[in-house]
Amino acid sequence: MPPPSELVAPWVEWERRVTKGRRLLEAGTFALTEGAIAAGCRVFAGYPITPATDIAEYMSKRLPQVGGYYMQAEDELAGMHMCAGASLGGLKAMTATSGPGYTLMHDAYGWSITNEIPLVVVDAMRVGPISGITGAPGQGEFYIARYASHGGNFETIVLSPSSVQEAFWLTIDAFNLSERFATPVTILTDQVVSDMWEDLFIPDDYAGLDFVVPRRTNLTMPFFPVGSDAIDVPPNIIGRGTGVCVSAYTHTEEGYDIEEMEAQWAQTHRLVNKIRHHRSELTRYETVGMDDADVVAVAYGADARTVKTAVLEARARGLRAGFVRPITLWPFLDDLFAVDRHYVVCELNYDGQLVREVMRAAPDSRKVHFMGKSAELHTVGEVLAALDGVARTGRIPELPYIWTEVR
Amino acid sequence: MNPLAKKYLRPSQIPTKACHGCGIGMIENWLLQAIDELGLKQEDVVFGTGIGCVGRQTFATWGGDNFGATHGRALAVATGIKLAQPERRILVVVGDGDAASIGTSHLIHAARRNLGVTVICEDNMGYESTGGQFSPTTPAGYVTNSSPYGMVEPSFDPCDVVKAAGATFVAETTATQWHQTVKVVKKALQNDGFSFIHVRFPCNENFGAYALGTRDTLKNLEWIYEHTQGRKADGSETDFTWETGIKHDASNSRPEFTRLLREMNARVQSDLADKMAARA
Repeated sequence: MPPPSELVAPWVEWERRVTKGRRLLEAGTFALTEGAIAAGCRVFAGYPITPATDIAEYMSKRLPQVGGYYMQAEDELAGMHMCAGASLGGLKAMTATSGPGYTLMHDAYGWSITNEIPLVVVDAMRVGPISGITGAPGQGEFYIARYASHGGNFETIVLSPSSVQEAFWLTIDAFNLSERFATPVTILTDQVVSDMWEDLFIPDDYAGLDFVVPRRTNLTMPFFPVGSDAIDVPPNIIGRGTGVCVSAYTHTEEGYDIEEMEAQWAQTHRLVNKIRHHRSELTRYETVGMDDADVVAVAYGADARTVKTAVLEARARGLRAGFVRPITLWPFLDDLFAVDRHYVVCELNYDGQLVREVMRAAPDSRKVHFMGKSAELHTVGEVLAALDGVARTGRIPELPYIWTEVR
Repeated sequence: MNPLAKKYLRPSQIPTKACHGCGIGMIENWLLQAIDELGLKQEDVVFGTGIGCVGRQTFATWGGDNFGATHGRALAVATGIKLAQPERRILVVVGDGDAASIGTSHLIHAARRNLGVTVICEDNMGYESTGGQFSPTTPAGYVTNSSPYGMVEPSFDPCDVVKAAGATFVAETTATQWHQTVKVVKKALQNDGFSFIHVRFPCNENFGAYALGTRDTLKNLEWIYEHTQGRKADGSETDFTWETGIKHDASNSRPEFTRLLREMNARVQSDLADKMAARA
C-alpha cells in the first residue's frame, strides 16, 4: 500500500481538465518559457546567465511568434526595470536570472512591489556565494527572495517547482498570482530543475486555458488602494492618459510622493496585508505519510526529488517517515510543521536557511535537524541514514559533506 | 497662474519643492512651451523622471501619466513602457546623476537602440539634493562639498557619449537660452528616435555657494552665460567654454527601435503562417 500522499496546488485540477496536448521530452527552461507564453507573457527582458540563459534563448524565439518582445538588456537591473515598464504599459512580463544577476534586481523589486506591478522573476539558483560554481545547483536565495528589496514594509510571494512538468504549471500559477496580488512573484528554481530534461505535457490551445488570469486595467482613482488589503484589484496602466503616477517614494492613493506617517502606515498596510490576509490563496505543497510519521524530511526544488525517494524507501523498510515539500516558500507555510515530531530539513546550502523557518514554525525547535549540502543533491543513501539515525537516536549521524550545525 | 501650467500641470503638485532661484521650474516651463507649440495633449506624453533635484521637483507635476524611477533607471523603465505603448511620446527628465553617472549604461544603450524617447538632462553640475557633491559633469578643479580641494577628476560631456552611441538628435543649451531651448526641444520631440538635450542650470544653494562663491541667482546665471560665450563681462576669457546648440541632427534617419521589433514580429508571424499553410 502506498503511503498517503497529497499534492495541494491549482494544477492538480488543471491537469484533470486539460487533456488535449503534446507530450514532449524537454528541459525545465523550456517548460518555464512555455508556461510563461501560455500565461500570456509578452515581454521578456533579461541578461544571459547560467543556468537561466536557455530561458532567454527560448523567449527570443517564441515571443516574436506570438507578437511579444524579447529584450536583451544591458544588465539585470535594466532587465527587471524594463519588465516593470512593460507591465505598467499593459503587457505581462517576465525576467530570468541566477544569483549574481538576482542581487542586481533588488532596486527593481522594490520599485515593482511599491507600485504594485505584476510580473514574474525566475531565479535559477546555483551554488554561491557570488559566482560560485556555475553549473551546480544551490539553494542560497531562500531568504534573499523573501527580502528582495531593502527598507522592509512588504511581503513577497515565492514559489519553487521540483520537476519540468511542474515548472510549466507553476509558471502559469505565478503569473496568475502576480495579477491577482499585483506584485512581482518569484520562481526559485535551481540548476537541476532548469537544465534537466523530462516528460512534459503542454496543452494544444493556450488561448483556451480558462484558468489563466487575464490582464485587466485600472483606469480611475484610486490608483493605489492604500489602507486596503483587497486582492484582485486591476493593476494600473501607464500611457493611457489616466494621470497615474508611480514612483519610488511612499505614496498617496493618487501616487504622489508624501512624507507623512499616516501615508507610510496606509501603504505598508496594503503591501503587507494584501498578502498576509490572503495566505490561504497561496497554499501549495506536497506531503507523504503525514498521518503517522515520527520523522519528516523537508526539502524543496530539485533536492526534494531524492529526499522523497529516500522517504519512500525508508517507509518500505518499516520506518514511520514522512515528507514535506513546500512549493510556496513565502509566505512560509507554518501549518505544515504544526505537529510535534522530528523534522529533517535538507537544503543545498551549508549556512541553513529553510531550516530556520522550520525551527520557528515547529513546536519544538530541538527536534528540527539540519542537513545542509552544497553543490550536489542529497543522495537517497544520505537521507536514509539521517532518517534512520534521527528515528533511533534523535540525531543525524556524521556523514561526509553534510553539515548539521545551524547555530 | 501661468496658462501653460494651467493647461498641462497638476495643480496639487505645483509650485514644486525646488529651492529659491532654482532653474528646474523655468526649464519645465520651456518644455511645456515646446509641447504646446507642437499641439500635444496631456495624454500624448508620458513624463518620466529619476531621483535627485530634477526627479523630485518634477515628478507628478505633469498633468498626464508620470513615472519616477529609481536612481538611474528611468530609461530602462521607459524602454519597457515604449514596448507596450509605442504610440506615446516619452519625455524623460533627469539630472546629471541619473543621466551621466548612475544611469549612463541605460542612456548609452537606449541611444544605441534609437529608442523613441526624448531625454532632457537638466544638469546642475553636482549632487545638490544630497548637499552639493561633485558629479561627472562638475567642471574639473571646482570646489564642492566632496571636492574641498577642487575636483580632481576630469568631467565629461554626455552629449559626446550619446552621439557616439548612436543618438539621432543631440543638443546642448543652458538656463540662459530660453528660445534656443524651446526650439531644440521641439526638434527633439519631432524625432521618432532617441533625442538627448543637455541643459545646464545653476544651483544657488550648493554649486553656486561652494563652487562659485555666491547664492545670487543672477550671478550664477551670468557665470553660465559667460561660459557659453567664452568671455566674461569684463572682456577676459573664461577658464573653459561650453559650445551650445544642436550637436547632431540625424532625426528620423534610422528606424525607431520598437518599430524594428514590430516589423520583425510581423515577418516572423507571416513566415510562420506560410509554414503552417504549407504543412496543412
